[in-house]
Amino acid sequence: MTQPVTIIMIEDDEGHARLIERNIRRSGVNNEIVAFATGSDAMRHLFGADGSGLVQKGNALLILLDLNLPDMIGIDILKQIKENKYLKASPVVVLTTTDDSQEIKRCYELGCNVYITKPVNYENFANAIRQLGLFFSVIQVPPAAT
Amino acid sequence: MRAEAHRRRAFWQILLLSAGLLVLTVISAGSVYLVNKAREDSKWVVHTIEVESQINALLLEVRRAESSARGFLLTQGPDFLSDHEKAVAAIVPALDKLTRQISNDPAQRENIEKLRAAIEIRLDQFSREMTFVKQGQPDRATALIREAAAGNTTTTISNMANAMIREEERLFRLRTANSDRSQTLSASMTGIGSGLVVLLAMISIWLVRRSARVRDEAEARLRDANVNLEAVVDERTADLREANDEIQRFAYIVSHDLRSPLVNIMGFTSELEELGGDIFRRIGDLTHVSADGSSLAPGAPGEIVLEGADKQLSENFSEALGFIKTSIAKMDRLISAILNLTREGRREFQPAKIDTRELIEAIVSTLAHQAAEAQAEIHLEPLPNLVSDRLALEQIFSNLIDNAIKYLKPGLPGEIRIRGRTKLGYAIFEISDNGRGIDPKDHQRIFDLFRRAGTQDKPGQGIGLAHVRALVRRLGGTMSVSSELNAGSTFTITLPIAWNVSNRN
Repeated sequence: MTQPVTIIMIEDDEGHARLIERNIRRSGVNNEIVAFATGSDAMRHLFGADGSGLVQKGNALLILLDLNLPDMIGIDILKQIKENKYLKASPVVVLTTTDDSQEIKRCYELGCNVYITKPVNYENFANAIRQLGLFFSVIQVPPAAT
Repeated sequence: MRAEAHRRRAFWQILLLSAGLLVLTVISAGSVYLVNKAREDSKWVVHTIEVESQINALLLEVRRAESSARGFLLTQGPDFLSDHEKAVAAIVPALDKLTRQISNDPAQRENIEKLRAAIEIRLDQFSREMTFVKQGQPDRATALIREAAAGNTTTTISNMANAMIREEERLFRLRTANSDRSQTLSASMTGIGSGLVVLLAMISIWLVRRSARVRDEAEARLRDANVNLEAVVDERTADLREANDEIQRFAYIVSHDLRSPLVNIMGFTSELEELGGDIFRRIGDLTHVSADGSSLAPGAPGEIVLEGADKQLSENFSEALGFIKTSIAKMDRLISAILNLTREGRREFQPAKIDTRELIEAIVSTLAHQAAEAQAEIHLEPLPNLVSDRLALEQIFSNLIDNAIKYLKPGLPGEIRIRGRTKLGYAIFEISDNGRGIDPKDHQRIFDLFRRAGTQDKPGQGIGLAHVRALVRRLGGTMSVSSELNAGSTFTITLPIAWNVSNRN
């Protein structure tokens, strides 16, 4: 990996974002984490002003996505990422409260790489995020350009 | 009001029919009587004519005898003699016949007596004349004829006969008039009767048509009402379905959105707990350091050593956090339950042929461990098969059997029995146990969400039965419980044997 992987976290709930970040850090992951509280901010960052995704060319990204966003439907973001030629190789981890089997199925169909339900029980939650952090520390991420 | 009118109309109908029948009977009886009478009268008319002709015949024979007697006297030709004898021979039978014919008429009987006397005298004269002529004494015979003429015998006979004929003619007129009257009467009776019957029939037809019209109108109204009712029912059903869907959506969204803050509350509570731990450990370390001047082995690292007020503070802190955490856990379970229920409510049923016995045996085998622990035996009796949703049935039966095992009487070996039968397109299942039972005042309550009954010594959320009942209802069935405290419970489920989408409502 020539370039360190940037973790893009799209999460509307600041508390959740904080807890996720904290637990990822606890697992020893020191990559940069860029957090977005709204879908549109995240879209602007990922796809750039022209919406082509060219701005991310060459960057290695790992995207953490919450499906329940105030301004956009998380699934639409997932779809657009997986349809963009610069971004489609970046792993997307859906991290959300929804545990509906239809929803899960749909996410995987659209190309999501990992689907994790946020457990309410904090011990489980922390555990899940830490394991996710461990996972982040071992997986290989391709750069966003082809 | 309408019933009264109906009764009145029916009464009139019956009255009309009875009147018609009565008229017909009277006409028939009258006609028979009058026809008989007319026949009788005609017979009498014919009889009169016969009598008249008989009188004429008798008179003719007498005349013939007389003229042949004269002929014989004048010519002494044997032809005349034989003719005379024939005529004389015919007179008496003719007279007898006439007598028989008029035997019922006293007036004529008197006449005929006189006639008979006159004829007998004349016959006697005839026989004497003939004797004289045969003896060759025509003078005496002539004298006798003269005498007879003088005695007016022939005239008397004529007169008598005429009198009789007149009498018969009078009778003829009388009887003809009678006969005519009878026939007229018969005809007019038939006419009037027929008219009456026709009139009654017309009234009856009018009544029938009127009631038919009333009935048609009522039918039309009923049809309209039915169509209307169907539309109303459809509308209401659609409304209800919409409302139900809305509630489902609402519950889903609410419970879902409630989860997000709960994650934060739980997460930061845990963080706080950890923080608290760190703080109190620090306090513990500091107090020990300050008391002894140096770090005096405060126990193994991670273990908090506190004393007095600090210890109290730490305990209060942990207690508060503990309450928060158990409450959050409970709230999470409730939200999960609502989510599951709404999810179940949204799931489309897949009807499939189901071997009920196999399905329940599978459930029983998964519950075998719990059953063995509770010393419970589960008996399966013959069960009807269904076409229904497999998952729903599994949830229904496993909840009920699980409950039966869970709420047995401590110390009493459990006996759980599952029975089934069919009735009018429905399969009826009974799950009965000899467990602790349910107080009748709680029978409604146990089906409510988050509500439980009896001693709360078993874990549970109060969701199972609410869920089961919702499923049974969605499958187009009903469920009920019969139970007494300490006397076991029987849950009865009635499900359509063949479920399809239209059963849903």
